[in-house]
Amino acid sequence: MQLNTEFMRQTLIDVLAGVPVTLKLTFVTLLLSAPPAFWIALGKTEGGKNRGKISGVYVSVVRGTPVVVQILFLYSLLPTMLNYLIKNVFRLDFNIFNIDAVWYAYIIFILNTTAVLSEVFRSALLAVDGGQLEAALSIGLSRRQAYMRIIIPQALMSALPNICNTTVSLLKNSSLAFMMTVKDITAIAKVKAAYGYNYIEAYLVILLMYVILCSVVQGIFRLLENAVSVRRRAAV
Amino acid sequence: MLEVKNVKKSFGDNQVLKGIDLKVNKGDIIVILGPSGSGKTTFLRSLNFLEKADSGTMDFDEIHTEFSNASGKVIIKVRKKTAFVFQNYNLFQNKTALQNVMEGLVTARRVPRKESEERAKKALDKVGLSGRYDYYPYQLSGGQQQRVGIARAVVVNPDILLFDEPTSALDPELIGEVLAVMKSLAEEGATMIVVTHEMSFAQEVASRIVFMDGGVVVEEGSAREIFTAPKEERTRQFLRRIIRDYDYVI
Ligand SMILES: Nc1ncnc2c1ncn2[C@@H]1O[C@H](COP(=O)(O)OP(=O)(O)O)[C@@H](O)[C@H]1O
Ligand SMILES: [Mg+2]
Repeated sequence: MQLNTEFMRQTLIDVLAGVPVTLKLTFVTLLLSAPPAFWIALGKTEGGKNRGKISGVYVSVVRGTPVVVQILFLYSLLPTMLNYLIKNVFRLDFNIFNIDAVWYAYIIFILNTTAVLSEVFRSALLAVDGGQLEAALSIGLSRRQAYMRIIIPQALMSALPNICNTTVSLLKNSSLAFMMTVKDITAIAKVKAAYGYNYIEAYLVILLMYVILCSVVQGIFRLLENAVSVRRRAAV
Repeated sequence: MLEVKNVKKSFGDNQVLKGIDLKVNKGDIIVILGPSGSGKTTFLRSLNFLEKADSGTMDFDEIHTEFSNASGKVIIKVRKKTAFVFQNYNLFQNKTALQNVMEGLVTARRVPRKESEERAKKALDKVGLSGRYDYYPYQLSGGQQQRVGIARAVVVNPDILLFDEPTSALDPELIGEVLAVMKSLAEEGATMIVVTHEMSFAQEVASRIVFMDGGVVVEEGSAREIFTAPKEERTRQFLRRIIRDYDYVI
């Protein structure tokens, strides 16, 4: 078998244009998912009954279904639903079917990642010794201050490895955005491949691309983890 | 200064406090003795609302409240007038010794950072940890951690210091350094309620001893009265057992 290297070079150049799309999809989703995920995690650990129950259903639906199915379902449901809301509830003159598909990708990935992260944060919060909160309250901190200054920093530190895993799997899942016509690296490679039937070459390029991106993400998190523990050690 | 009446608390159908009364005057060193499971920790925790007592009243200077319906504001007020020293220290793991001690000033009381730092350093110096400002809890021995815990409590100038078995998680050779710090606080006139099994500390320092058993105060009196002439049989039994163990350790 002979690989068409010139085609691969061309594909690589084209695919690079999709890298920012993939990264943006990953990190914007991550940032926007973190606050609601924390809110859900706190609801579960702090025992707010209804909040815990509703978020429990949400989390198990998301975790118990394949991402592909979530995309298929929501991508067919959302535009119709939003259109109905805009036309009949808000009575706006706005065509929902004209908006960029990337917004749907964000909504779906945020819904998904929020559920995953909420579990990550929940176990991290539970890992913080209960005496930490009591000590904070006992010196006069409010609950909110105690969480902001004592509990959450400790939880984040112990959650770093799991946040890294979540980020990597989100980055990989973002490849499914092609189903929503988002031009990420996978979508670009698919188009190139179909054009000249060079499937193997095109997919080999993005396979390597994902390996590189995931390694970089893991490397960054490793640096972050080291920085956290070095800062503690350097203080001596 | 502080008077609580008829404090009751149950966990499920296990009634742990069956109506405790306690009066504390400024400068009192009250030592609470009693067998394990008698409700000492629960009582102490109820005093600053780490545990929510089911009923009873509290008069604490200008504060008058029921335990059952104390408002959030009152709870924070009481917590700012008291400070708690925990059996297992509970130092903030993400903060250095100095930051641990500063936290109650900077965050809870809005004391300017610079002044907080000076006061925190003074408090750490007082407990003999002047060289350990920037150490994290896991870099300190148990005795050092507990002394940071005491500095964290003392630095806010609380009206009452609450100690819950501050030395019982420590190796025997580290107990002395912590007791010494507590003694010097007592000599400076601090008001303290101390749950402990250290009989020598109780004998030397207590201005009043409260003996608890089964969720009630069985007997209460000066150290001399309790140790040499206990009125109640239960007190006698307890002392006999403790002192025998104590002899045995030596
Ligand atoms: N959070 C809790 N939930 C249920 N039972 C508890 C809890 N805390 C304490 N208890 C029970 O209350 C009783 C008194 O405990 P405690 O106040 O710790 O006693 P002491 O400090 O005198 O050893 C024990 O029987 C203990 O099991
Ligand atoms: Mg106890």
